[in-house]
Amino acid sequence: MESREIVEIVDLNILGQVCPACLLVALDALNNHEESLRCGTKRLVVRTDHRDSTRTIPKAARKMGYDVEVKKVDSCYEISIGRKYEPTR
Amino acid sequence: MNQPDEEKDALRRRCAELEAENRAYARYIRDKTNHLLGVIGTKELEEDELDDQALIKLDPIGIVARSFLQILTNLNQTIDELREAKNELQAIFDATGVGISIVDRNFVVERCNEKQREMLVDSSVEEVVGRHCFEVYCDRNAPTSECPALDSFETGKAALVREVQKKGRWFQLVTTPFSRAEDGSINRVIEVSMDITEKKKVEDAEKELREFCQTERRKLATVIESLSEGLLVVDEQGRIVSCNLAADEITEQRIGENCNRPLDDAIAEFAPLLRSDAGNVQGVEVMTRTRQGYDLLLSVNVGCLSDNEGRPLGHVLTFRDITEEKKRAELYHRAEKLAAIGQLSAGVAHELNTPLGSVLGYARLLLKDKALPDNLKNWAEIIAEQAKKSSTIIQGLLRFARQSNPAHRCLEHCFLNDVIQRTLPVLSTELDKRKIELISELNPVAPVVADPQELEQLVLNLTMNAMQAIGEKGCVRIETAQAGSKVVMKISDDGPGVPEEIRFRIFDPFFTTKAPGEGTGLGLSLCSGIVSDMGGAIDIAGGEDRGATFIVSLPASDAVEGSGDLHE
Repeated sequence: MESREIVEIVDLNILGQVCPACLLVALDALNNHEESLRCGTKRLVVRTDHRDSTRTIPKAARKMGYDVEVKKVDSCYEISIGRKYEPTR
Repeated sequence: MNQPDEEKDALRRRCAELEAENRAYARYIRDKTNHLLGVIGTKELEEDELDDQALIKLDPIGIVARSFLQILTNLNQTIDELREAKNELQAIFDATGVGISIVDRNFVVERCNEKQREMLVDSSVEEVVGRHCFEVYCDRNAPTSECPALDSFETGKAALVREVQKKGRWFQLVTTPFSRAEDGSINRVIEVSMDITEKKKVEDAEKELREFCQTERRKLATVIESLSEGLLVVDEQGRIVSCNLAADEITEQRIGENCNRPLDDAIAEFAPLLRSDAGNVQGVEVMTRTRQGYDLLLSVNVGCLSDNEGRPLGHVLTFRDITEEKKRAELYHRAEKLAAIGQLSAGVAHELNTPLGSVLGYARLLLKDKALPDNLKNWAEIIAEQAKKSSTIIQGLLRFARQSNPAHRCLEHCFLNDVIQRTLPVLSTELDKRKIELISELNPVAPVVADPQELEQLVLNLTMNAMQAIGEKGCVRIETAQAGSKVVMKISDDGPGVPEEIRFRIFDPFFTTKAPGEGTGLGLSLCSGIVSDMGGAIDIAGGEDRGATFIVSLPASDAVEGSGDLHE
């Protein structure tokens, strides 16, 4: 991800939900925004308070070829998913 | 039961059937969804978490299917990238300048690039892959203990072997663990071969050059150390960088042990030579002083040092002690001058001797004439006496001129004590008249090879010189002693002594401190000549104010030297 690009943040709030419903909701969002996530114009930020989600969602997103960052914000987690950085070939 | 009721029952049953079907479908969807979630790696859906209606509305199969599509697309993309990378690696594998092969645990070559084949495999071998590496690379039946692959398999670490010779060239082999078996042991290694022939040639040439430089450096160091001249190397800041042994010896300092100190500290007198803009200088005379306080006259050469590009690096100073050389040169000039005086004197003496003989002869004839009046007879006596006196002076001059002529000598073994005892009575009348006490202390000495008459003259001249120095009353002391291979005679007086400023001239001919007419100035000069011709030395010692001691040192005769045959 290049810092100079303008990236739209898609906020997905699934606080209070537990797996695997969380995973299905996140996968649905990844499916719906696939094109813009792939080209880097959008980045999906999933906010969850379910600890398992910080393992299952990143794992699935990485298999789909996305870049994933997880960080703890206050009492919940933010899983940021977007275009994987690829070196210029 | 009427018809409407029957229809209602039928509808109710149908609804029940449909609901059962719906539940079955929902169950099916839930099962499939759980199955797919299991594939993704998460747990199953809980019914209270997501009821059937919400489940159907969510369409989890659709979601997972689309996600699988993304995963599949990503996998395909990854496969393409891997294939591309594999092709790149294959291209590198084939095109690289080093030989590469992959060898398994049984030393069987799994892969081998063209370069490896070219470098290590004989052209007669057609197939390399599938054969043992020790067979195709090393022409052996088994790996040797030096085999790097064997080392890597055993240690699990990279191994290197330098200077493997094959096909007339030199190679370096490196094996690196490549993959491991389930038990963790290394089951494949990559072997990389590099042609180091050119590098080895360069290394050998460098080694040869380094050895040559070290040899030359040692040679140069030996030459510098063996120089009799002192040598100092000084850097641009005027600090001593190195010096040789002779520099320490000449300056009586330990400059070599204190290198890197300023030249000013060691020999301050050299510093102006470096500050001058003259560049290289030759033969500059510099007066300095040793640690013991002796004056030291040095002849100094200065050369400028520079690097390959002409940048100044400092100076090299070479110097030698010319103190004695300078003194010898002065003595040589004086000796030449004296020789000229001697020749002149001999010529004049010879020319005067003949007419003086006539004067004396005729004076004696006149004295024999009995008819000669008394007053004329007195005059004739005076003429004869003065002519005789003049003749004595002339004989002295002739002796001085002849002193370096060995043909006139009659050399024999002489005992100095005998000569002294024979000579001293001659002076007894004069000693008594002047109230001069003569003390002799004659110790056993070895004989010397000399002309006895010259030896007598030596004793006589030195004793008379002492008496003349004393004047009317005093004491003359004559001592003899053996000092190693030398026979030493000391003649001392308690006269006024010899001032420092004329000491170096008292052995010169015609040099005298007596009033004109009282001395010829030839006595000590004759002594010096006699002693010098005998291979000995004469010197003067004693205080400036009172007394003088003439020390004569003569070589003892070889015939009896060391035999203990000393003579009293």
